[in-house]
Amino acid sequence: MSYAILSIKNLSVSVGSRSAIKDLNLEVSNNTVFYLLGPNGVGKTTLLRAVIGYPGYTISSGAIYFEGEDVTDKPMEYRVSKGLAIAHQIPPKLVGLRVADLLNMLCKKSGCAVSDVAKDMEITHLLHREFGKGFSGGELKRVEIATLLAQRPRLALVDEPDTGVDVDSIEIIARGLKKLVELSPHKSIVIVTHTAFIARYIEPDVTCILLNGSIARCGDSELLYKVLRYGFKSLA
Amino acid sequence: MGLRAWLEDVRNRASRALSKPSPYGLDVDISPFLSIPEARAGGKLDVARAEEVGVNLKANAIYIQIDQTYFNYLSRIPGVEVLRIEDFVDQRPDEAQEYFWRLIDPAKDKYTALAALKGRGGYFIRVKKGVKVEEPIMACLFMSYGGLQAPHNIVIVEEGADATVYTGCTIAPEVLGLHVGISEFYVSKNAKLRFIMVHSWNRVAHVRPRTIVSVGEGGEYVSYYVNMARVRTLQTYPVVYLATEAKAFLASILLGLGDAEIDVGSGVHIHGDNSGAELISRALARDESRIVMRAQIVGEGISKGHIDCRGLMLSEKAFIQTIPELIAKSPNVTLTHEASIGRIAEDEINYLVSKGFSKDEAISALVRGFASIEIKGVPEKVKSYIESIEKVLSEKAL
Repeated sequence: MSYAILSIKNLSVSVGSRSAIKDLNLEVSNNTVFYLLGPNGVGKTTLLRAVIGYPGYTISSGAIYFEGEDVTDKPMEYRVSKGLAIAHQIPPKLVGLRVADLLNMLCKKSGCAVSDVAKDMEITHLLHREFGKGFSGGELKRVEIATLLAQRPRLALVDEPDTGVDVDSIEIIARGLKKLVELSPHKSIVIVTHTAFIARYIEPDVTCILLNGSIARCGDSELLYKVLRYGFKSLA
Repeated sequence: MGLRAWLEDVRNRASRALSKPSPYGLDVDISPFLSIPEARAGGKLDVARAEEVGVNLKANAIYIQIDQTYFNYLSRIPGVEVLRIEDFVDQRPDEAQEYFWRLIDPAKDKYTALAALKGRGGYFIRVKKGVKVEEPIMACLFMSYGGLQAPHNIVIVEEGADATVYTGCTIAPEVLGLHVGISEFYVSKNAKLRFIMVHSWNRVAHVRPRTIVSVGEGGEYVSYYVNMARVRTLQTYPVVYLATEAKAFLASILLGLGDAEIDVGSGVHIHGDNSGAELISRALARDESRIVMRAQIVGEGISKGHIDCRGLMLSEKAFIQTIPELIAKSPNVTLTHEASIGRIAEDEINYLVSKGFSKDEAISALVRGFASIEIKGVPEKVKSYIESIEKVLSEKAL
């Protein structure tokens, strides 16, 4: 039986004085690998951050429902406590905080084992390094996905997991994303990308295209391949 | 010159420097401490405060000094000698002459001068050739009545030896005291000394430690200094001299609380080739505290050095200044520095909240992270002391 986990209705979001998302509607169902595609600067990150409730992303109208609950006015802390989680495109460096410290704290809450998470994402060698300091693009993404695995969210929102990443790392990241799908009670995930490299390793069930702050079109995996062949301009 | 003449010379030089201010830090009037008659006896150790600064009073090698009158010391570790400095000087005058006031000039400033004239006690620690000790050698310097405490410490780590000296210095609440610890450390060829010093003073205490370290060929000196509580004024600038293929790593974590005036630096002079130094400091300034972080590396031979100073502003009225200096006296020197000061970044807090932390948990984790400096190659026992100190310091910073 199919049901909606995340429903976004007529959502408009502004960042500062700039209107970034305009009257957007979107639904993520169970058993779905959901791809949100779009060129740079169309509002993909803004949408994910608005969904998670990140400060600075103002919802001017519309509503966000997660597992049937209206979370539009709820703070980020609440939404995360309910099982939403985000993998950031560029996580900040955390001075002095080691990767192991952060994963330990997350695993304490979720009951995972840091060593397992580290092994899954092949970051054991980074555990005692300062979070983000001197990491390669692939290492940074793998660590970021590891934080999601340690959180064990009900629905993961993953922002650009394949940007600035080498082929070997993409495979590892895709493995992590598959694991996140397994961990989700709904067996779903939302992946945002503008290159769609990751789609070689984790097939989409639903693809939506975001252009100029609104959903331009949704379809199945064929839509993704069409974009890869002809670019976003063909959909404009 | 015999020992007696040497000591006389030290006293003469000190007498002429009693009004010589330190170039750094707030100037403290030392006249009340000069005129203090005989040291008051009967002070008792506050065990809880000693433990707060991480001192293990059951250690197998330990030196305890209360004020300038009570001294207790022992070593049950083979190859490790612990003595009171006066006993060392009395028992081994020839050797004492070789090490006592040899690295530090008693006329350096009025605080060294005061210590040379009025100081009592301090530890003499020797780690014999080739002896490797994992367990820290402990020292506890406690001020119960206030007044002056000016111990003179000498540590000799002989060739190929490896040891950790852990010193906790603290004071009873509300007593006015001036602490001037004189420390002369000799790290011999291929030897390694880890020196950990944890300070917890009170809101009226003045602190002026003076430290110089000589590191021989292939030797290594690792220092970890923490000021974890209130202090009225604190100024120190340990200097390390490195021979060929020697290494130095100096870390300091400075918590400024109340109206504290803190001026802490460290300098490394690299004389030999293939040597390296790394100086790391972290300042956490709360309330109306003022913290100056100084660091200097002077490179002469083929050498590398790096300075990393970071400050965290935890109040609108605090003040932090970093003064990193790099001096190359040869084209074969590679020296770098990085410095930053700011408040906890909102983006870092938000990032952690997005990972399921409450805002308070996020701030606490970031402050704890900021205050932790990784020291490679530290024995597990020492690591656990450092971790607990960092935890207490982070809690006090919030």
